[in-house]
Amino acid sequence: MPAMKLYVPHVGHMEGLQKLLADPSKIHSVYMAGSPDYIGTGRTNLSAPTLESIAEQTEYAHEKGVKIDMVLNSSCMGGQQLTPEGYRAIGWYLDRLNDIGIDSLTVADPYLIEMIAHEYDMETVVSVLSFVDSPQKAEFYEGLGADTIVVDPVVNRDFGKLEAIRDVTSGDLKLLVNEACLYQCPFRYAHFNFFSHANGPGPKPNVIDDYYYYKCLSLRIRNPEQIIKSPWIRPEDLSEYKHITDMFKIGGRTHFVEWILNNINAYYNESYDGNLLDLLDSIKDLKDTFYVANRDLEGAIEQWEKCDKNCHKCGYCKRLAENIIKIQTEDGNKKLSSIRNPEDI
Amino acid sequence: MTITNSLLKVRTELEDNLRNLLGIPVYLIELDAFALPCGCSGATINIRGFTVDDIEVFEEHILKFLEEATLKLEIQPSFLFARLIPGTAEVASLNARMLCDSCYRDFARGEGKQPRPDIYILKLEKNK
Repeated sequence: MPAMKLYVPHVGHMEGLQKLLADPSKIHSVYMAGSPDYIGTGRTNLSAPTLESIAEQTEYAHEKGVKIDMVLNSSCMGGQQLTPEGYRAIGWYLDRLNDIGIDSLTVADPYLIEMIAHEYDMETVVSVLSFVDSPQKAEFYEGLGADTIVVDPVVNRDFGKLEAIRDVTSGDLKLLVNEACLYQCPFRYAHFNFFSHANGPGPKPNVIDDYYYYKCLSLRIRNPEQIIKSPWIRPEDLSEYKHITDMFKIGGRTHFVEWILNNINAYYNESYDGNLLDLLDSIKDLKDTFYVANRDLEGAIEQWEKCDKNCHKCGYCKRLAENIIKIQTEDGNKKLSSIRNPEDI
Repeated sequence: MTITNSLLKVRTELEDNLRNLLGIPVYLIELDAFALPCGCSGATINIRGFTVDDIEVFEEHILKFLEEATLKLEIQPSFLFARLIPGTAEVASLNARMLCDSCYRDFARGEGKQPRPDIYILKLEKNK
């Protein structure tokens, strides 16, 4: 068995959990969202489990030897958490989760991190939506009482930063391996704030379109090298990170259980033979447009380990994209250059 | 051929045509046929990677492809438009619509390419 702890997404209902934990041996912990009536999350939710359901699922997970984490990681709560009414409502909900026996809470708001760390026995996990991308931020959150920090994936390929964060923290670090947001995404804060309001306590915005998601996909379609630059970690490359941590988190609680199981197998076995986009969370809509043979990325980690992020000078990811990204068509997979003027590349 | 087979075929052909025209892997995420309570009917093509600039530069070609596609779905291509994400250049969908009398009056009164900021009209045949 690999020396790693896998943290895996759960869609939120008992049926999903039973499928997910049919073979619990590969899973250290599952994470799921709670009721959006108290605290939302920074992602879309498929379910809003009641306290009764959370209790039932927690008991089931514990019977299987798997820990359960509640994700309460709104990146914006509109200040409600600081009002007397908000504090009481959140406190009431956290008391219930504590009574149920939830193992850990993943939160993004510094105030909630400090509050939970001081008032509850549940493990306090700093969400990826706290954007911890430096040793300074890691020290700050650890000072607030956090037990574990999920590092911002923006530094997943910056080993100097990762090692510095490891060096200053005495708590645990967790790496999110397959989020696949744009590298240095300009929409990141606005998008998660939007999700937090859309999936949190009302009033909910009556939005027309998810501009950020449309734009995200559009940027990749027009410039597929952005797919390569996203700081995902291939299953095969986990071994390069084991001097940083043995805790790896798979993103994707809005997917079908079969998709999650495919990811668990890939990351547990540290091997995947197929389209890399099958594994990536945030750009799932592009898996029928692009084909990136995972095996073609063998060795790329060696470049990224020494990457200084000056893309305009280096061009490695651009060249790699041109060589390995295929466009899926009725007639099979074609190279990018087949629909572009080669002189433009 | 069933309606779903027709939709699949037309979606693929239109995607290929647009990809070859623009030189990017533009993505037709979903092609839906619709019928509205007012009496309008037609097709909506949700699209990613496509901007209003593309339409402005290649309007003649895009219009031709869209007309061919809608005819194959037995939709008279008398009203074709793109819907934009409000306030942006991102195209959310291409649309072919056979207008009911009421909606025809709404659209036919408008002037220019963008009677509403989120709509870019490619073609509107006015009744004589």
